[in-house]
Amino acid sequence: MKLTELFQKKEFVITSEVGPMKGCARNGRQAAFLKEAESLKDFVHAVNVTDNQSAVMRLGSLAASVLLKQAGIEPIYQLVCRDRNRIALQSDLLSACTLGIDNVLCLTGDHLKLGDHPTAKAVFDVDSVQLLDMARGLNQGRDMMGRDLTQSTGLALGAVVNPNFQPLDLQLLKMEKKIEAGAEFFQTQAVYDPKLFETFIRKAEGFGVPIQYGVVIIKSPKMAKYMNENVSGITVPQALIKEMAGVPETQYKDKAREITARLVKEISPMVQGLHFMPLGWPDLVPAILKS
Amino acid sequence: MIGTTKKPFPEIMAALEGYQKVAVVGCDGCAKVCLTGGTDEVAALAQELRAQGKEIVFEACPERTCNVVKADPVLAPLADRIKEAEALLVLGCGGAVQITRELTEKYGITVPVKTGLNSVGHMDTLIGGTLAVEQCQECGDCILNETGGICPVTKCAKGLLNGPCGGAEDGKCEVDPSRDCAWILIYKRMAALGETAKLKKFTAPKDYSKAAKPRVLHIKEGRVA
Repeated sequence: MKLTELFQKKEFVITSEVGPMKGCARNGRQAAFLKEAESLKDFVHAVNVTDNQSAVMRLGSLAASVLLKQAGIEPIYQLVCRDRNRIALQSDLLSACTLGIDNVLCLTGDHLKLGDHPTAKAVFDVDSVQLLDMARGLNQGRDMMGRDLTQSTGLALGAVVNPNFQPLDLQLLKMEKKIEAGAEFFQTQAVYDPKLFETFIRKAEGFGVPIQYGVVIIKSPKMAKYMNENVSGITVPQALIKEMAGVPETQYKDKAREITARLVKEISPMVQGLHFMPLGWPDLVPAILKS
Repeated sequence: MIGTTKKPFPEIMAALEGYQKVAVVGCDGCAKVCLTGGTDEVAALAQELRAQGKEIVFEACPERTCNVVKADPVLAPLADRIKEAEALLVLGCGGAVQITRELTEKYGITVPVKTGLNSVGHMDTLIGGTLAVEQCQECGDCILNETGGICPVTKCAKGLLNGPCGGAEDGKCEVDPSRDCAWILIYKRMAALGETAKLKKFTAPKDYSKAAKPRVLHIKEGRVA
């Protein structure tokens, strides 16, 4: 099922995200990421599968996406430009479609320096805009060199955008290029400031492409501080950190639910969907959606 | 220039193990600017090697060791001395080392040619004797005309051609917060020129065949093959 079909039906599209583990999933049913996805199955339309997230080597996102699909969960196969050249990227897109994947999220990818193989050779043969353009070409039945495919792909193409980015106009310029290159829906980076999100959405809504608000659940004041210091492109306001720190540790989870539900309630009317990155607290997603 | 740094002395000693008589060849071009292989550094390293019991056959420092036009006239008259040496140690870029080896072969001498430096890229000097930065990858397909004279291939850690990733904070690169985000620099420059609209144009994937190694430059024809 393509996410684009849901957006066309004016569904409010809810997705979550899982990260494959560092290890083989030969006994796929036991894999933690699959269990996490299964726990969310009834509450979301689809689940992103990250591609060697944070440049940490793990099980491949295509294999993990296929396992989700086999378990009856709609995967959004994430594909980054960091580790593959243009031949491998196109080949993987053909493989994904062949194996039943309908949705792909095209990203640049975190830099190697931030991961667990910092001495590896970075590829970045193409960027995310060029990857989208390539993927659209495959959907239209030709490779990037203009050669015909025996069968074209039929992938819904997603992309990401960071509303926290300054200058915002530069991020919007790239977003526009992604749309022109074939992006059909967007998932945003985590945003904790509704005002900032509104400024972004007022400028981006004119592009006419569905946008899902990205939600990363803040689990503790320590995690918020860690994100501010170590995760690029995300800012957790001090007021939120204080609010969380104001309750005993045993109540962090309740507070996390309350804060996230508040943000979701405020921002939902501005967007066409939500994308949860629950980071180990998937059980909060249903509660947040309910409230 | 080609930037160079000195290899650690123990690594140099390991490379010279078993060779008692050593000749040291520097470069009074780029390596001189980098304070790694000019006449002064050659003399200093020769002294260190003597202190470790090596016999220094000669010290030489062509103006540009990577250029046969400069290196040959200095080394050819030393051919007999080169024959005496059990190894040559070159304090120059990887090109200088290989030109020196090629010259020894041309003189009919089979002698190990070792390097005392690591080459670290095409560098532009910002503060003489202090600071140089890498700004060009010699990709063979220059796009500076489209990017406000700032190269994203080199200055963006991911070499992105169609705008920034989402990771910059306070204008700094996510990979190294001491470094400016190349795309924010490009955007500001284009804004100052009143040309940000030009950045909306899709840049196609680079033609890396133009950077396929090893390239040969036919200077008279202006042709790369």
